[in-house]
Amino acid sequence: MSTVSQKESGAPAASPGPASTRDLSGGCGDDLERQCCGEPDQKLPGTHGVGDPAATFSGDSPFLSCRGRVIKWFWDSAEEGYRTYCMDIYDEDQNPSGIINLGVSENKLCFDLLQSRLTQSDMLRVEPALLQYPDWRGHLFLREEVAKFLSLYCKSRTALRPENVVVLNGCASVFSALATVLCEAGEVFLIPTPYYGAITQHVYLNSHVRLAYVHLDSEVTGPDARPFQLTVEKLEVALQGVISEGVTVKGLILINPQNPLGDIYSPGELQEYLEFAKRHELHVVMDEVYMLSVFDEALEYRSVLSLERLPDPQRTHVMWSTSKDFGMSGLRFGVLYTENQDVATAVASLCRYYGLSGIAQHQMAQLLRDHDWISQVYLPENHARLKAAHTYVSEELRALGIPFLSRGAGLFIWVNLRKYLPQATFKEEELLWRRFLDGKVLLSSGKAFQCKEPGWFRIVFTDKAHRLRLGMQRFRQVLEGRPHFRT
Amino acid sequence: MGWQERIDQAVITPVPGQAWTLGSGRVPSGVEHALSLSLSAGSSWPAEANTNTWRMSHRPDTPTVPRGQTRSQSLREQRVCSDLLEMIRHLQQSLKEHFTQLTTWQMQGLLSLEQRHSGAICKQEDLLDDLMCKMVNLLGSEAVSGLGLRPPLPVLDSQAANRGVRRVSSPQQADQPVPQQRDSEATLVSHDLSSRGIEISVSYHLDFQDYEAYQRDKYHKVKNTLGFINLGTSENKLCTYLLTERLCRSDMNRMENILLQYPDWRGQPFLRKEVACFLTDYCQAPSPLDPENVVILNGCYSIFSALAMVLCDPGEAFLVPTPFFGGFIFSSNLYARVELIPVHLESEVSENTHPFQLTVNKLEQALVEARLKQKKVKGLMLVNPRNCLGDVCSRDSLQEYLEFAKRNRLHVIVDESYMLSVFDGSATFHSVLSLTSLPDPNRTHVIWGTSKDFGISGLRLGALYTHSKGVASAVCSFGCLHGTSGITQYKLYRLLQDREWIDKVYLPTNRSRLQDAYKYITDELKALEVPFLKGGSGLSVWVSLKSYLEPCTFDGELALHRRFLDNKLVLSRGKSFRCEEPGWFRLTFAEKPSELQVGEWCWPPNPGLLTDTALSLHA
Repeated sequence: MSTVSQKESGAPAASPGPASTRDLSGGCGDDLERQCCGEPDQKLPGTHGVGDPAATFSGDSPFLSCRGRVIKWFWDSAEEGYRTYCMDIYDEDQNPSGIINLGVSENKLCFDLLQSRLTQSDMLRVEPALLQYPDWRGHLFLREEVAKFLSLYCKSRTALRPENVVVLNGCASVFSALATVLCEAGEVFLIPTPYYGAITQHVYLNSHVRLAYVHLDSEVTGPDARPFQLTVEKLEVALQGVISEGVTVKGLILINPQNPLGDIYSPGELQEYLEFAKRHELHVVMDEVYMLSVFDEALEYRSVLSLERLPDPQRTHVMWSTSKDFGMSGLRFGVLYTENQDVATAVASLCRYYGLSGIAQHQMAQLLRDHDWISQVYLPENHARLKAAHTYVSEELRALGIPFLSRGAGLFIWVNLRKYLPQATFKEEELLWRRFLDGKVLLSSGKAFQCKEPGWFRIVFTDKAHRLRLGMQRFRQVLEGRPHFRT
Repeated sequence: MGWQERIDQAVITPVPGQAWTLGSGRVPSGVEHALSLSLSAGSSWPAEANTNTWRMSHRPDTPTVPRGQTRSQSLREQRVCSDLLEMIRHLQQSLKEHFTQLTTWQMQGLLSLEQRHSGAICKQEDLLDDLMCKMVNLLGSEAVSGLGLRPPLPVLDSQAANRGVRRVSSPQQADQPVPQQRDSEATLVSHDLSSRGIEISVSYHLDFQDYEAYQRDKYHKVKNTLGFINLGTSENKLCTYLLTERLCRSDMNRMENILLQYPDWRGQPFLRKEVACFLTDYCQAPSPLDPENVVILNGCYSIFSALAMVLCDPGEAFLVPTPFFGGFIFSSNLYARVELIPVHLESEVSENTHPFQLTVNKLEQALVEARLKQKKVKGLMLVNPRNCLGDVCSRDSLQEYLEFAKRNRLHVIVDESYMLSVFDGSATFHSVLSLTSLPDPNRTHVIWGTSKDFGISGLRLGALYTHSKGVASAVCSFGCLHGTSGITQYKLYRLLQDREWIDKVYLPTNRSRLQDAYKYITDELKALEVPFLKGGSGLSVWVSLKSYLEPCTFDGELALHRRFLDNKLVLSRGKSFRCEEPGWFRLTFAEKPSELQVGEWCWPPNPGLLTDTALSLHA
């Protein structure tokens, strides 16, 4: 049930990478030694100080420290799929045989709306204060807007407070900073799998914090359960498992709406998980970056900030950003909301490293304060487009007889391609992933999300209709064994 | 006796019955005492006491206290505090090293029973023991009881306990000049933070308390004439309006989808290309620089931190000539755990030298000494133009330093953040990128950013130029954590591209304003007969206020620093640049003329506020 990840796959959403294909639940001692004897490019980091990691990472970088080689490994192997894509991006006119990206979770459906909003005159003001060293927590004008915005859109019971807000350059940084200030190096957060794999890298790179998995199964076990259902029992077992290995667990990471499942937690479930965390004095890091991307009106999404009573408010930390809900991951804007002033202050103390441009801060404040535009223009249109794209891909999948989780939130669909694997192994999963890439469509395979069962893939459906259609066409061709492109 | 027990004893014995209530609660008991003592003492009162000494005399809402008492009291507090702080920092460092070493040995399977008692460990244990005892003695002494900061009894208020937080309050005594806000500001020692979380908060507070005081109470010529003037932060505010005007022009407002989408984590290709082109021209590189060697992150801090991560393993070190910008210490220590070993330079000149001159001899000597102490030196950090001193490095010296580094297989990180801020026509800046043949290109890494040269530190752009592809791609791994906004990248790309504006408008204006401000400030200094280093670059002047120190120590320097603060003037003191001689201050002159003048007016500290001291800047 529980496995402290001995290595850090760091594989971002788009790629299993060579390392991710290995099972890394080894303990210490012999296992490590055995791993160290592996092929250099398959050696996994996360075991510094043991044996001679430098030897395994030597190769082409004699100017780096041992640690530097491990860090470089993240870059070299983990981003493989994404970089292949970057070198060969599909373009209708310029590169029609380029790769279609259905792997990276980005919302490209509403660029027209955002472009017109972001070029309105209120966005273009540049004031001296924006050019100078900021308040490291984020400019007050922005924190005030964030507090108001979250109060409104998270439906909080009471008004949220600007002093509980810290602004950083993206949620990756929020993860990194929280890991630094909440954990010592080597301590762990629990996280239910499958999960957005890049978190591994976020908490590890600077902070050397690791993730311990709460593995969930696709099999449905009860009348009220759904596939990959998280239960308190599973959390308990995982926690005890990690503790029995002598590792300190500092917190629990929950993603809601969940990435890659698209599930949303009910208020009852949320409350249970939070109570569990409280019992064990665990911090809860709530990643709510998809909170406004719930496009099925029948679903009632509840932010943790909307709960009547938080079991342990001082240990509950919420993050949100405009990356997903407003389709602007390139803007690098992430916020932390925590009532714990020590945590807020400590995170803010790191803001020299996680600072966001004053100009971007001004623009975010202008955007977030425009509730009329958000509620009347952007959100309805975004939801309609999300729904249309989701419906299109769902129908394609049904036509192919592919099982998938049909959810009404997020930018992606979690599909089961097990029947296309000759054997149910991650090796075969990777081969299929490569066949997709060779067929010029980039997907994310389950291994990148630390899914326990081989054969799951995440399809991101938030691309423009013509690209999405072409992407799905290539997807079908690869599965039917007649890829359009040959390498 | 094992080291843990010894620490235990050292903490507990001298103050029986007075348990320290602070603790992180997750380290073994003995260590917990040691760590919590050092960390939370650091977090709770030395810093508090520091701020309170000056804060209380100026908060109009704070009750006044007898002045004579305040002064002597506060001087005593300062001394004890700075001693303690120094010890605590030392202790922290030693503990850290000790643990790192133990862990490493343990992991390497070297930690057998015999080795536990081997020389190195025993020596470290003795050092820890000694430090702990000294601290405990100091804490138990008169000095501390006078501060009203005795080890408190456990005060657990129910609310705080529920939150997993212990409130460490100091019992207030009637006869002590402790400001009222003490109570409300009683430091919370959080169980929620990791030890490094606490450390980060504490060191941030120590480094930035003056700056934060300034942020809360900024001078404004109409709205807040009694607010702080900040000549302590190195920011160029002379051309802010030129920049805001330029950044508002219509060419800045293009919005393309790639700016909103996940970026190339190395920096947007168009910006890297422009930075390469820009550096080629302004550094006068012999051949065009390669955009593939450029990495863009959100500021030079991030670049430096990432470089320290990928070039060194924990516990390794860089040589850095002093005085140098103190922020580097935090950056190298924060994540990378890389030590900065100062190469001390002196103000005194002999034949053919200038003040604070760096020579290869000094570098050699520092390297030998470091190696004798078993330090693993991985690199050399150079700043050119030098941040606080305002001078530039000659081409020959530069070449010599690089040769030295090559001989010793050291990396060289050259921070050229001020390269366009050379305003003295007779000084010529030589970028390391202008050298026709770099002695060891793969170990030479250049940092530049737009913060200083364009006065836009708020836009968060730092660039690394390195010939080593390995280093570049390792640093890229940090792109997702230290990336800079796509929209900002686009604007900076347009800015750097506009050579006509840079060459014909911005740089000439900036230079002449820097010259004027420099002339103004140095004329004032001459009138006050304050010695200073003649500079021709950068945003600040390095002044010697040695003759105003009493005593001529770092305590005296701190006291003088506080007096400036009492007079609402923020300066940076030499100690924070690890200068070895007390009495030097860095004064930023790139400030709007009106504020610079007020700063000057603050200069002889208003005697009304300092009746209890004979010190005056009018020597």
